Amino acid sequence: MEKKKFPVGAEHYALYEEIGQGVSASVFRAKCLLNNEIVAIKVLDFERGSVDLNNISREAQTMFLVDHPNVLKSHCSFVNDHNVWVVMPFMPGGSCLHILKSAHPEGFEEVVIATILREVLKALVYLHDHGIIHRDIKAGNILICERGAIKLGDLGVSACLFNSGDRQRTRNTFVGTPCWMAPEVMEQLHGYDFKADIWSFGITALELAHGHAPFSKYPPMKVLLMTLQNAPPGLDYERDKKFSKMIASCLVKDPSKRPTSKKLLKHSFFKQARSNEFIARKLLEGLPTLGDRLQALKKKEEYMLVQKKIPDGQKEEMSQNEYKRGISSWDFDLDDLKAQASLVLYFILILKHLCYVRGGSGGLGLYLSKIEE
Amino acid sequence: MKGLFKSKPKTPVDLVRQTRDLLIYADCNPDSRESKREEKFATLSKLLRELKQILYGNSEAEPVSEACAQLTQEFFKENTFRLLIVCLPKLNLEARKDATQIVANLQRQQVQSRLIACDYLEANIDLMDILVSGYEDPDMALHYGAMLRECIRHQTVARYVLESEHMKKFFDYIQLPNFDIAADAAATFKELLTRHKSTVAEFLSKNYDWFFAEYNSKLLESPNYITRRQAIKLLGDILLDRSNSAVMTRYASSRDNLRILMNLLRESSKSIQIEAFHVFKLFAANQNKPADIIGILVANRSKLLRLFADFKPDKEDEQFEADKAQVVREIAGLEPREN
Repeated sequence: MEKKKFPVGAEHYALYEEIGQGVSASVFRAKCLLNNEIVAIKVLDFERGSVDLNNISREAQTMFLVDHPNVLKSHCSFVNDHNVWVVMPFMPGGSCLHILKSAHPEGFEEVVIATILREVLKALVYLHDHGIIHRDIKAGNILICERGAIKLGDLGVSACLFNSGDRQRTRNTFVGTPCWMAPEVMEQLHGYDFKADIWSFGITALELAHGHAPFSKYPPMKVLLMTLQNAPPGLDYERDKKFSKMIASCLVKDPSKRPTSKKLLKHSFFKQARSNEFIARKLLEGLPTLGDRLQALKKKEEYMLVQKKIPDGQKEEMSQNEYKRGISSWDFDLDDLKAQASLVLYFILILKHLCYVRGGSGGLGLYLSKIEE
Repeated sequence: MKGLFKSKPKTPVDLVRQTRDLLIYADCNPDSRESKREEKFATLSKLLRELKQILYGNSEAEPVSEACAQLTQEFFKENTFRLLIVCLPKLNLEARKDATQIVANLQRQQVQSRLIACDYLEANIDLMDILVSGYEDPDMALHYGAMLRECIRHQTVARYVLESEHMKKFFDYIQLPNFDIAADAAATFKELLTRHKSTVAEFLSKNYDWFFAEYNSKLLESPNYITRRQAIKLLGDILLDRSNSAVMTRYASSRDNLRILMNLLRESSKSIQIEAFHVFKLFAANQNKPADIIGILVANRSKLLRLFADFKPDKEDEQFEADKAQVVREIAGLEPREN
């Protein structure tokens, strides 16, 4: 492991353009003036939004202590005025979401997906072994370095099940991004564990295949409803059988029936996975720099808004951006949404109850299928 | 062939013993760079991972309490615990993390409904000195810090740290340039000052003078925004705790303290203002206000009332509004006692 020294103190870094944005944080490309290394600096603002100090320090610590080639690690973090700066390696490829948006709006081909997802799974095996649930797996958090190496980033909402000495059976917080969120995370009934990441992993697979997550054009509330009530989403056109089977195994509503990350890594779909160089060649060659790409995307969005000609794809992107912006505040700024969601849950519970009364035949799914008959 | 003659799985007791042997080796063989040494450290890392998995389970299985109890008992029978802490700097990052989680977990394990970790630490209380000093070593700080926070769950251990000279060092640790380490020290500091009510109350009344002098000058008046913000929040938590009421009365009778709090009320940061209000209200609500406190409040009456006129947290908060109304009433109704 190469050990470059990264100094603490804002005066040692020159900030360049912004490369990412969230509710209470922005990410900048920057240069470390001491060793001339290009880095990414996440600037977390303590005064914006309802930022919890504990969450930020936990994120900084988790990112500092992880040590796996597929997990983004921080070099250091320090306080600068109202902000905390977290210094991380710069990933010039940007996120898979960026690449989908700017060059592959219809999704990636399967070999590419298998290669990316195998690396993500390795990261998940590591995190889960350490008791960490990522809680925000999605294309936007899968980062690509210039040589095509894949790293899972943004441990901003991750939680440690092994935290403070006890194995906590489950977590019970409503965090993540709606489209990628597992039903048990939405329900908040029995809590959730590592398997919540497996669901999000399945959704991410669909996202990489289609260019967008299922339900991504709907408002968050609708997404909650659809995730809870509809059958799990799947591929919208014929793909390789192994691929759809792999996805289906992740998108089972009963978390205990989903495979562990370790087991999933052995799925035959991933046998076709290739090398980092392959990713570099397939996805990165010919792409403008990350800064230029983001600039172009921004312009496109603004232009579309002015023209009021918003094609569906664009709507989805904007909708996704909306969710993205929502991430950090899910813990929980959008009280409204939660209130709505609990109303829906209440409704569902009543349905379930009715269903028990009608003969104790199990869950909502059964009830609905009875109606159809 | 290995698979064919696989020995039967080792018991938790065996694993702890083997770990102990390797730790003894690690402890007294400094820097002999042989392949043998590397091999032993690799085995040690593997053993620590296994011990962790017994205590926490893994992504597929929950821990078994019987095995945990056996492991714990063996761990504290001899000096394994001490060796692990002393040798921690010699381990690699992954092994350090495993060791930290093991130490954390052992604090909660009961053997025949006794927390034997507590008995052990009482007899080996000097280990706390190593853990606290960890904040001075950036490589060890987060590991020793996490262990320390778990150890002070035991009241006697917390009392030792509170009454030791270490307590003074926390005022500097909290402001270390590395945010992750400073935040860890702040978390430990908070735990020390809030967890065991009676011990904290006793500590604060015995050490009132130096403690609040340091607290005011180093934390509440720190140039570091995060330090001020954490410190004012913690001060509110401490003073508003019923078990610290004597300390609170004393704190809220001092003109110097009031001056510092009023400066915090003027900060541009909303969060600091709000937290400062929760301490300021104690000065205003005090029914036996000393004359100099009344003097200051009267002299600044119109400014204070103007400040409070549109002063409210982002989220609606009935309790806050009620407190504010009371503070405003108090200040508006004040008569200077002298002149």
